Amino acid sequence: MHRRIVELAVVCLWASLLVSHAQEFKVLDRTVQVHGFISQGFIYTNDNNWLTMNTSQGSAAFTDFGLNMSSHLTDKLLVGAQVYDRNLGQLGQYHPSLDWAVADYRFKCWFGVRGGKVKTTLGLYNDTQDLDFLRTFALLPQSVYPTDVRDATIAHLGGDIYGTISLKRHLGDFSYTAYVGHRSDSIYSGFAYLASQYDVYYSSYGGLQYGGDLRWDTPLKGLLIGVSRINQDLSGKAKFISPFNPAGGFVPYSDTSRADWANQFYGEYIAGKLRIDSEYRRFLHSNVVNGGILYTTDDVRAWYVSGAYRVTKHFSIGSYYSRYVITIAAGGPLAALFPAQTDTSLPANHVYDKVITGRIDLNRFWNVKVEGHFMSGNGDSLYPDGFYPQQNSQGFKPNTNALVVKTSFNF
Amino acid sequence: MRWLRALLLAAGLLTSARALATDVKVIANTSVKADIISAPELRRVFLQESSSLGDGTRVQPVIEKDGPVHKAFLQEYLGRTQEDFQTFNRALVFTGRGSMPEILGSDVEVVAYVARTRGAIGYVSSDTDTSVDGVKTLLVIPAGNTAERRLLTSVEPIYPETLQRLGIGGTVRLALTVAPKGNVENVALLGGNPILAESAILAVKRWIYAVGRSRSTIEVSVPFDPRP
Repeated sequence: MHRRIVELAVVCLWASLLVSHAQEFKVLDRTVQVHGFISQGFIYTNDNNWLTMNTSQGSAAFTDFGLNMSSHLTDKLLVGAQVYDRNLGQLGQYHPSLDWAVADYRFKCWFGVRGGKVKTTLGLYNDTQDLDFLRTFALLPQSVYPTDVRDATIAHLGGDIYGTISLKRHLGDFSYTAYVGHRSDSIYSGFAYLASQYDVYYSSYGGLQYGGDLRWDTPLKGLLIGVSRINQDLSGKAKFISPFNPAGGFVPYSDTSRADWANQFYGEYIAGKLRIDSEYRRFLHSNVVNGGILYTTDDVRAWYVSGAYRVTKHFSIGSYYSRYVITIAAGGPLAALFPAQTDTSLPANHVYDKVITGRIDLNRFWNVKVEGHFMSGNGDSLYPDGFYPQQNSQGFKPNTNALVVKTSFNF
Repeated sequence: MRWLRALLLAAGLLTSARALATDVKVIANTSVKADIISAPELRRVFLQESSSLGDGTRVQPVIEKDGPVHKAFLQEYLGRTQEDFQTFNRALVFTGRGSMPEILGSDVEVVAYVARTRGAIGYVSSDTDTSVDGVKTLLVIPAGNTAERRLLTSVEPIYPETLQRLGIGGTVRLALTVAPKGNVENVALLGGNPILAESAILAVKRWIYAVGRSRSTIEVSVPFDPRP
């Protein structure tokens, strides 16, 4: 583990000495830009293993990287693609995926279209949630941006229309995005991994996804407010071992959405070196299993407030409070196996996280972050929220403190 | 009186700091038709929200590396710090929504690049020599400076007969510099048919506005409708 971190540090140092700006080359007289990033983290927790890692022993199974190429074929047409890969404990497992691959044509400032595999606009950070070098924090507030279920919202195969309209009388700018497409989860995501505790093994999970985002860059300098909505109609195919007939081996399993949506409201205020963000997300995930043997409804309410301040060019500090509560209701013949969870004061139904971070920028391309998480609750439920029974077979403890150290490099 | 001296010293330091702040000017390749650009339009170009100006000219922004000129430009026209702007561009690049703009090391390099690159638009410190072939300085109309001044006398433009007969019309966009006395001192073409623009410019130069406290810049649109 330590050797791996030292190796990464050497690679970052070497690479940061080599690169200056974008790496470019020409194809048919068009400039092609190449950009990439890599990050390596280490997490240690005092109680409870977190994010599918054995963090109570200290774990460095927290790596991701991406590489993209893009080119302006005309002034208004941009094409490009990015490959992304990660290993987060039991998730990702170094199976690379096409993160995005888009053709983006901007007719006017107020109207553009993009199609292909497109990053989904949802709140302030959904589309950039993998890019920790863009912000002070090593981990975004997990209540609103749970990294273990990034697949649920990260991208869609489809299209967007978008644009920015300048309002008259100096009322600021108004930006919109509307999208429709198909979401396809990796079978190495948190959702599939959580299900495996019930001997349910997914081969596919995904479906229709559509929604929109409206944001207003207000006349008050630095203040932006917005709202996003996402609707999904999902289905999953899996095999499972029936608890009523374990000797029968694997039998087919399927689930489909009854209702699956999220509303997100957000605000951002930037004044010089100070940045304050806040977001609220209500997320409802209701599905039916095997045509009706089980219905479940997960209802999540999550919000955070964060502040970050750039003390010097090379040093920033930040802090946030993140709050996540979930209630669960079940119905159908198997409902007795999943009793309703409605008391959000119980550790099993919430995660409250107080965070403090320091970020050092060693140069323009390379940074190191040290972050402390002080969590109450473990959200042990039917929906993934960072704490998994598979890594906590001794049962959950109510509080968890975590030390996160992360370094990332980009060019 | 020691505190008064300290106060005066602090005030002096502040003044000196202000005096040291870098002024920038916006330059463009001479292929860019406009001579004037509004601050919001400039902002849209450098935030990659628009790749052309109101008159249809394609533009390609070029930026300077971190330093006083870059800092001053970002502060004045984009309202961002250098770090914010870097983060913004990286977010575009890593989500497939934009590319990293051309980054050059000095004023001299920016001037040379703008001179040889069609559509290039950049910025340099105000004392940089930009009197080279292929480069012109753009007048930036600050946001909120398109003050409303009452038009007292307007003169209708003459519709060129041939264009009207052929049914060619459209709207000419102009930026007028209006003197405190109310007369139109200068006219810059922002967009529209060049022949119609000639006629529009001749007309608006005879317009009279109400007296104002200072010189102001006003954007006007002059429509030409070929229908009788």
